[in-house]
Amino acid sequence: MHQPERRSNQRRSGANCGDMPKAHRSGTGSCVCTYLGQSRRLASSRAGSTRPMFAYVVRRLISTFVVMVLVGVFVFLLLHFSPGDPATLIAGDNADAEQIESIRKGLGLDQPLLVQFMNWSLRVLQGDFGISVFTQAPVINLIVERLEPTVSLAVTTLLFAALVAVAIGVVSAWKAGSWIDQVFMGGAIVGFSLPVFVVGYVLIYIFSMQLKWLPVQGYTPIAEGVLPWAKGLILPTIALGTSYVALIARITRASMLEILSQDYMRTARAKGVSARGMLIGHALRNAGVPIVTIIGIGFAMLISGVVITETVFNLPGVGRLVVDSIAKRDYPVIQGAIIIFSGVYVLINLLIDVLYTLIDPRIRY
Amino acid sequence: MSTTKTKIFRRTILLSGIALIAAAAMPGIRHAIAAPNSKNTIRAVMHADLRVLDPVWTTANITINHGAMIYDTLFGLDKDYVPQPQMVGEHKVSDDKLTHTFTLRDGLAFSDGSPVTTEDVVASLRRWGARNNAGKHMMQYVKDMPIVDAKTFQIVFSEPYGLVLNALAENGTVIMRKKEALTDPNQQITEYIGSGPFVFNQKETQLGHRYVYDRNPGYVPRKEPPSGTAGGKVVKVERVIFENMADEQTAMSALQAGEIDFMEMPPQDLLDVLRSDNNLNVEVLNKTGHMGWMRVNHLHPPFDNVYARQAMLYLIDQQEIMRAAFGSSDLWKKCGAYLACDTAMESDVNTDWLKGGQNIEKARELFKKAGYDGRPVVVLHATTHYLANPAALLTVQWLKQAGVNAELATSDWGTMLVRRNSKAAPTEGGWSIFFTAATGHSLSNPVTASGHATNGEAAWFGWPNDPKQEALREKWARTPTLEGQKAVAQEIQENAWNFVPHMYLGQFYRAAAWRKNVTGVIGVPEVVPFWNMEKK
Repeated sequence: MHQPERRSNQRRSGANCGDMPKAHRSGTGSCVCTYLGQSRRLASSRAGSTRPMFAYVVRRLISTFVVMVLVGVFVFLLLHFSPGDPATLIAGDNADAEQIESIRKGLGLDQPLLVQFMNWSLRVLQGDFGISVFTQAPVINLIVERLEPTVSLAVTTLLFAALVAVAIGVVSAWKAGSWIDQVFMGGAIVGFSLPVFVVGYVLIYIFSMQLKWLPVQGYTPIAEGVLPWAKGLILPTIALGTSYVALIARITRASMLEILSQDYMRTARAKGVSARGMLIGHALRNAGVPIVTIIGIGFAMLISGVVITETVFNLPGVGRLVVDSIAKRDYPVIQGAIIIFSGVYVLINLLIDVLYTLIDPRIRY
Repeated sequence: MSTTKTKIFRRTILLSGIALIAAAAMPGIRHAIAAPNSKNTIRAVMHADLRVLDPVWTTANITINHGAMIYDTLFGLDKDYVPQPQMVGEHKVSDDKLTHTFTLRDGLAFSDGSPVTTEDVVASLRRWGARNNAGKHMMQYVKDMPIVDAKTFQIVFSEPYGLVLNALAENGTVIMRKKEALTDPNQQITEYIGSGPFVFNQKETQLGHRYVYDRNPGYVPRKEPPSGTAGGKVVKVERVIFENMADEQTAMSALQAGEIDFMEMPPQDLLDVLRSDNNLNVEVLNKTGHMGWMRVNHLHPPFDNVYARQAMLYLIDQQEIMRAAFGSSDLWKKCGAYLACDTAMESDVNTDWLKGGQNIEKARELFKKAGYDGRPVVVLHATTHYLANPAALLTVQWLKQAGVNAELATSDWGTMLVRRNSKAAPTEGGWSIFFTAATGHSLSNPVTASGHATNGEAAWFGWPNDPKQEALREKWARTPTLEGQKAVAQEIQENAWNFVPHMYLGQFYRAAAWRKNVTGVIGVPEVVPFWNMEKK
């Protein structure tokens, strides 16, 4: 994540409220202190803060483009220097050298690498990712067709992980040292240690094969009904989300413990703020930045996890497309998908950076 | 940031998220509009993902399966592998055996409604003849293919050719529209219109995930009962879907749960689990199975020497390799027939090396006789292949026991396929040994199976060079009767196990599994016929 800048001369953390002339609760529930008489000035400076933010976002978008270009070059070279040949795979095991060569020629793979690279780069710069050497279908169409299952799985997994993990983390921190805490954190270690495919197979065996509650595999587009869509995503979401739940829960617990030991929490307790108010309104809000950070970092893991989950549950997503394409050395598809993945990854990081400003008003860009 | 602004910003993010899902869902909405009816639909998991849709362009079996769904062939092979007319109504041969006259049967039409004419047929045969092994071989003897009229054409040979009907009955000898058949043989076709029992539903197909075939309402089947790819191809379901499932375990669970109906090649080591399921049938459909295959590099020592190659016959313990790959199953056996067991060409001529069992001492002697000097023998080890993986590990162990300096070159299957192209020395990026498998049916034809060629550097990987074997292959091709071909096959085998172009690892049979409510499954080598299947 980008290192945010904290403008301590405008707002101070609640931890220092005791030193401040005045403290009040903001509308969103966090403890925010301001110097008396500076409210008007702060309000005007905040109104103008959208411009630096806009400039920041534009800068990041430009850097995203640069990252995608670098990834493209790297992936192209890596693929073409690594062993493997789509023509050999297309021709089939019984094909002879002559048949393989004729296919290679037909695909343009007999041309010098530099020529192939230039042709490919020019097309990509025009937004054309080329066509699959196997199916002859445009790469962008193949990727777009596969987006829905992947986006659905990613969203449901992040939601599931965030909701469950934050709840577990908050309760564990609140009950730190108790048996509840030990059970949750023990479970978190197990959850983080188990590979996605093991969790997947176990879930399939229990909920699909034995109880017959949920389908073994497959994906129903959301257009065919929200219920069948959700039904097909429950097991993949749990399988993929388990390790995130564990990771986020542990970070949430650690952050919460730190915040709960702060002076202003004691102050809040002394003021008679309820336990729920303290946990949700004060502690969780202030522990939010590391939690959001870990969710963002987790997105990288999510990409690799999606690949495995989509394979185990036979979801026709982008992850499986990439795995199948790697096995078949379908270079244009691999290149296109990885460039898009890299772009999405950088944009998610950008989103997380922007989210910081919502969670912690001290942060400005 | 004011509260109002914060809320607006949050709402923007929320709306952006919804828009993201909605945008991603658009292709799904398009698919959902024509969602298939699950009744009368057979969902099948085939042995591989269908990626290439042109059955002339590749030799991949899965594409041949796709071809058998949507295209028809002039002849078909019955259950005894005898060619029988399929699109052809009448076939005559001139007295000098040089001119074959074919008349198409009535009612043939492509799924776009246009009739099948001899112009389509001849154009298809020309494209097939430029690419397919059987076609290329036949075309060496073809002088002309004149069109007599819209339903009758001829093939005129320069000399009598014994494999005409066998070649035309090959699963890859599909008849396309002239429009597609005129495509450069080095390029793939882009439209898939056939005159076969099914129509390829491209709109509902999702490449890499599922391939949809609808019953061809215009298809007129033959009157004879179905037998192999011959006889009446009567389609009794409305739709067949090839589901691509990368994970075998998931596919097996889906079959048991009734989410799919048919699995072409379930994992061999888990067959007992399927057999114990009362809802499933587990049977071998391809009765000639597959031959495990070891290729050695004839261009470099030690296997440029015949004694070293003969040593490998004594070194290989087929039983051990089969057991390692497939367990203590009843679905494999030892086989020394050069043209595969369970085929018309099976023979046990010159197979003492097999009958005596593994003999490492004999192998050691033969390597010595070959003048083996201790140089590294590089064994390509494709870890992702069910047979090549254990075969490589065992072979290296046995080679070491026989005093050979063997080493593994480990990779995935795709990388192995590339490395085997190399003619460089084994230690300079080349290789000494690799493993693969081929169907017994394909290996039973000494002419069209690529691996049987022994024409040196033009031959298949391994590049064996034996003019005597080449002459025998041609003799077999020109032999007009089955009995005559069997006799030549024995000569081929006699010579093969002296020269040793390659070695076998045993013969194995991949069972298919399907739900018991699916009936009418026909056994055919290399393709699974989805005609005649019913779902109750």
